[in-house]
Amino acid sequence: METTDLNLFVRTSEETLSDWDRTKIVDALVRETLIDRETANEISKEAERLIRTSNIKVVTAPLIREIVNAKLIEKGLEGARRMHTRLGMPIYDVDNLILHPNKENANVPHGPEATNLTLAERIKKEYALLTVFSQDVADAHMNGDIHLHDLGFIDRPYCSGQSVEYIKRFGLDLPHSLSMAKPARQPEVLLAHLIKFAAALQSNFAGAIGWDAVNIFFAPYIQGMSDNEVKQLAQMLIFEFSQQAVARGGQAIFSDINIYWEVPKHFVDTPAIGPGGTPTGKTYGEYEKEAQRFAWKLFEVYKEGDGAGRPFFFPKPIVHITERFFKTPGHMDFLNHISDVAADKGNTYFVFDRGETAKISECCRLSFKLDEHDLRDAQEPWRMRYCALQNVSLNLPRIAYMAKGDDTKLFKTITDRFVLAVKAHKEKRAFLERLLALGENGPLSLLTMTRDGMPYLRFNLASHLIGMVGLNEMVQIHTGEELHKSKKALKFGLKVIAHMNLLAEKMKRQEGLRLLLEQTPAESTSYRFARLDLRYFSPASGRVVKGNIVTGEVYYTNSTHLNVKEFMNPIERVTQEGIFHPLIEAGSISHIWLGEAHPTKEAIADFVIKTFKHTTNDQIAFSPEFTTCNSCHRTGRGLTDTCMYCGSTDVDGITRITGYFTKVSSWNKGKLGELKDRYRNAEFFVDNEIAVNQ
Amino acid sequence: MGIVKIFYKDSCPMCPMAKKLKESLIEKDVGVVDFNVETVEGLAEATFYHVKAVPTVLVEDEKENWLGEWRGNVPHIEEVLTLVNGV
Repeated sequence: METTDLNLFVRTSEETLSDWDRTKIVDALVRETLIDRETANEISKEAERLIRTSNIKVVTAPLIREIVNAKLIEKGLEGARRMHTRLGMPIYDVDNLILHPNKENANVPHGPEATNLTLAERIKKEYALLTVFSQDVADAHMNGDIHLHDLGFIDRPYCSGQSVEYIKRFGLDLPHSLSMAKPARQPEVLLAHLIKFAAALQSNFAGAIGWDAVNIFFAPYIQGMSDNEVKQLAQMLIFEFSQQAVARGGQAIFSDINIYWEVPKHFVDTPAIGPGGTPTGKTYGEYEKEAQRFAWKLFEVYKEGDGAGRPFFFPKPIVHITERFFKTPGHMDFLNHISDVAADKGNTYFVFDRGETAKISECCRLSFKLDEHDLRDAQEPWRMRYCALQNVSLNLPRIAYMAKGDDTKLFKTITDRFVLAVKAHKEKRAFLERLLALGENGPLSLLTMTRDGMPYLRFNLASHLIGMVGLNEMVQIHTGEELHKSKKALKFGLKVIAHMNLLAEKMKRQEGLRLLLEQTPAESTSYRFARLDLRYFSPASGRVVKGNIVTGEVYYTNSTHLNVKEFMNPIERVTQEGIFHPLIEAGSISHIWLGEAHPTKEAIADFVIKTFKHTTNDQIAFSPEFTTCNSCHRTGRGLTDTCMYCGSTDVDGITRITGYFTKVSSWNKGKLGELKDRYRNAEFFVDNEIAVNQ
Repeated sequence: MGIVKIFYKDSCPMCPMAKKLKESLIEKDVGVVDFNVETVEGLAEATFYHVKAVPTVLVEDEKENWLGEWRGNVPHIEEVLTLVNGV
């Protein structure tokens, strides 16, 4: 190693002390940037001179890099500086991270694993913004024009939908795993495969892992089991999913299980796969009773809750309400059963598949309508694997501040932002293509395995999501009225979403990308946008953002939702919010906040039927609130400061944050502001119960 | 007097009939607004009225209260006039 006369040691990134060696600067500049060796040599000499005169005894590698970067800037070599940048975090930030919980995602607990996750995410975020995305896209994200979701997971797709049939047919045979398992012969083994595969998938996707028609595909394994055994299996499934808080960063797998009372039309004639991965000789249509038994038992477990009587956070049960549902014997009993769970624990998501449309829900809101190609795949359901590569949300209120009441400018700016979002999608797609091209030796080897002759990730079918935050505030700024205030305001909101819908259609054709609108869950994005707009668009933004500016608990209303604070009959809310849903192809939801209210199962069932028959709403969920005690381990209704059983102050509040339940203590300030504002529909359900009982 | 709203798109086979209906209604001094569902304005309005098939013909009174509708087909002009004039 060539040394200089400079009597300095350098603490390098390899955790060693090295003698000073100026040529390392030269080598790094030539290797990492496009500058010539002579310029690199000159810069290294200048850096050396500065270090020599500064009288520092131990020089760290990051310090040298920063000094070199400063020299590059002095010489106007901005591009080279960008390429030579070091990614990392200040000690102060790391200190904070290790000591305090990260509240960007309430599904991440606080602990050493979570800290690892957050640190890695921070570096990958910086990496993404510097190298994956172009400057204009990165700048638009940084300043809050748009939000690129899950940047910390830049090297994986966003979310996905799976079929249990894949592991039933091929067993658990993952690339680089220490052992391979043949297709399961016992239901418990199938369950173990399911959970392990879900954990493996969590390492390859940023967000939700959804499972289609779980009760249907388990049915051949359930035949011959007693009711108690089926209940035990249901218990195992839910507990195993909900206790998987040992995987990625201590984060539970964000998992959905889709459940049908009837066998969906597209699976009725599908040959069923049974133990050992072999066809049973029957079709799934012939397993309806077993599938129903499993569905029923799953909801019995949801009703009981966990060991402390709390609702299970995961897996989220999504029940598809279809035209066939209402023609299937026993549907009212089942509807009352799942409504009982919705009223008591809040778990049930009611997804409405009207007409002949078949749908698969994957994520908080993401759902797909199955086209002809998909319906052909339904004969071999292990092929039914879907994913969204990325989600990009637009900050709608900001567009309204900038338009200053001018319609033309407003719609033009929406178009500009939309085009930028599409550019971001193309850039992430190109990056993922590079990773996937490395095949089974690359970082996404699991997604490239070809057990059924095609890659696990069907890249050609992947979707690209474009979300929206704060339609309500955009309309408020632009027209002077919030969405719920008048038909005119609501129709203007519809024009905005219709514009985005048509843009998605047009750009889908132009770019050959499967672009879809989605109601972004925006757990932290609605808070982030509101804060940034308070910084850049005050005082106008101060009059519009929701929440409490003094405490900093500010937010924009999520997606196309109406103001959560507004006193409104929930049927009216579900109807009005549902008007937007047909325009948002990848899925929408309306929340009915219950607070302490505990409606009867009949009242919930009646509400669900009315929503299905008289609205265009895609999905609804009822959200009660709970306080769980860490001393006596009991759980009561409502959010309180002390345990209602033992008086302890060591309690946690639990309710739905966006698309899932979690502890309120882990929420970000924006969501806390929203929680305080939420109008709880207690009065409606009291009146409604009287009506139902009469 | 009622107002007629007609929803259409350029490529649908029955939509030219809806256009003819519009012209005939205008000749009889009936207020008609038509919406191309492939435009922003038209798609927004169609979504508001849950229009899933074209052509669709809706009749409302002056306060936008529903009087009648034909979804996915074109009614005879007399049927529309009965509703419009019945207000």
